[in-house]
Amino acid sequence: MKSKNNYKMQYGISKIKRNLGRGLFEGPTNLIITISLSTILSIIISKIYSWIVFDADWSVVKNNLTLFAFGSYPQVYIWRPLIWLLIVISISLYTIMMPSKFLNKHIVATAWLFILPVGIFLLAGGFGLEEVHTNNWGGISLTLILTISSGLLALPFGVLLALGRQSNLKVLSNFCRLYIDIVRASPLITVLFFGQLLIPLFLPQGLEVSRVIRAILAFAIFAASYMAEDIRGGIQSIPKTQIEAAEALGLNKFECLILIILPQGFRVAIPSLTNQMIGLLQNTSLMAILGLVELLGITRSLLANPNYIGGYMEAYVWIGLIYWLSCTFISALFRKLENNLSYNINKSEAK
Amino acid sequence: MKIAIKTTKISKSFGEKCLALNDISMKVYSGEVLVVMGPSGSGKSTLIRTFNGLESIDCGEIDVLGLKLDSSQNERQIKRIRKRVGMVFQQFNLFPHLSILENITLSPIKTQGKSKSSAEKYALELLRQMGIEDQSKKYPNQLSGGQQQRVAIARALALNPEIMLFDEPTSALDPERVKEVLDAMKTLASKGMTMIIVTHEINFAKEVADKVLFMDQGKVIETSAPHDFFQNAKETRSRKFLSQVM
Repeated sequence: MKSKNNYKMQYGISKIKRNLGRGLFEGPTNLIITISLSTILSIIISKIYSWIVFDADWSVVKNNLTLFAFGSYPQVYIWRPLIWLLIVISISLYTIMMPSKFLNKHIVATAWLFILPVGIFLLAGGFGLEEVHTNNWGGISLTLILTISSGLLALPFGVLLALGRQSNLKVLSNFCRLYIDIVRASPLITVLFFGQLLIPLFLPQGLEVSRVIRAILAFAIFAASYMAEDIRGGIQSIPKTQIEAAEALGLNKFECLILIILPQGFRVAIPSLTNQMIGLLQNTSLMAILGLVELLGITRSLLANPNYIGGYMEAYVWIGLIYWLSCTFISALFRKLENNLSYNINKSEAK
Repeated sequence: MKIAIKTTKISKSFGEKCLALNDISMKVYSGEVLVVMGPSGSGKSTLIRTFNGLESIDCGEIDVLGLKLDSSQNERQIKRIRKRVGMVFQQFNLFPHLSILENITLSPIKTQGKSKSSAEKYALELLRQMGIEDQSKKYPNQLSGGQQQRVAIARALALNPEIMLFDEPTSALDPERVKEVLDAMKTLASKGMTMIIVTHEINFAKEVADKVLFMDQGKVIETSAPHDFFQNAKETRSRKFLSQVM
């Protein structure tokens, strides 16, 4: 067994060597291209390395880690968003790292359902905890709250829009199409301005909705129209014979939709829904323009501090890293979800 | 004898020109096995799909177990019929996202209000009769075609139907898998189930059918006992068809 593996490895390596050699070093043209490209590459890498290690002044990042994470959240209660961040990170890591075989799906699903209410409870307070106004939320914790809650709101809304578009009722399907077309035709920033400036005008006097909630609503309104189209694509990919089989078994239209069509269609839509979620996370940075101090917003206000003049590069590289890490987490999570919903998952358990 | 299904002058057209069913009147008694044969495009599948409302009719009347259907497609009536009529499709049409056991128990739990445990117990009993009780935890795409079709039969039987419709149940199978499905159907027939089967399996029809109904271009050409039909069919068109397939 071992020798076979060794053989395989050696064979693999020699094959790679051969292919590399053929592609990179065969003939004078290839040789010249390879050498010049690798020179350029090594210069760039060494420059970046020396900047990171020697030139850059990371004090702007080091001294403000809590600001990046929690914004201007009151110091006394900072353990609350901290605990929530740790919960989010550990549940994500657990979901991603655990092999599907040992993953208890019910526990994981429940954990993810509770992440948002727990987060809002911890950040906002109430029920025994001191209340903290949303104006004080900020940093990564606010970015995550914005992303998760608008995503969770947009998904069911998107499903309803997708179903409405498929409806036989002309009024309903036209309304949904109109909604989707209008929202897709408007740039996100206008929808966000609408949320911040116009929603308060429509509300009855005395009822005040915080800026964070208005932003969440605006994001959900926007994302729902895109998700609706992704889900519609998924639904339409399910063969009509599935519906016939369900009908022949006496299931009514609603049961057929909930039990047969949506679960299968949703799975098909997951790759595009992943795109939407990643887009949503990055789009939350637009709220910096509208005065929320989420990750980008807090960075901008930090850099306005005279102490950190010249720290632009370091600060933006740092939050770029955080955005990249978060997006990687999201795509890993959705990949896991997709694999778990695939029809062969119980292969090992079945036998 | 009690009549299970009776159609009176039913017609259906797809579009303007294509007359799928042309003035069809036929009868099936309960306990009978009727095999429907005919060239492709003759309307066999369309005919049996009208029996449980998967296909609407333009005129005429269908009587299934005393429940009448006409061109109005009364949804409630169709639901009542579907609860008493099982159907098996050419492409199995199992639900790929559900396990074998869930495929079978889904409808008994949802439409008959059975408890999960009793539905599962009955499902396992049906799978045992089909000879595949060891597959219950797998998913449809982990099974062979023949196994999938037997699951589909078990799924239809789980509702305790009084009539079973089979729409070319072996046409999508590998030749060596056909027998296991036909055997399951034979067992079912020997228990006295009323069955209407669209098939091209002549030997099966000879052995199991009580009556053979031959269709061409949306019309019933003849209805005979299998012995008569295969030895000396009455109509020239039937003889021509038989000479091509036998």
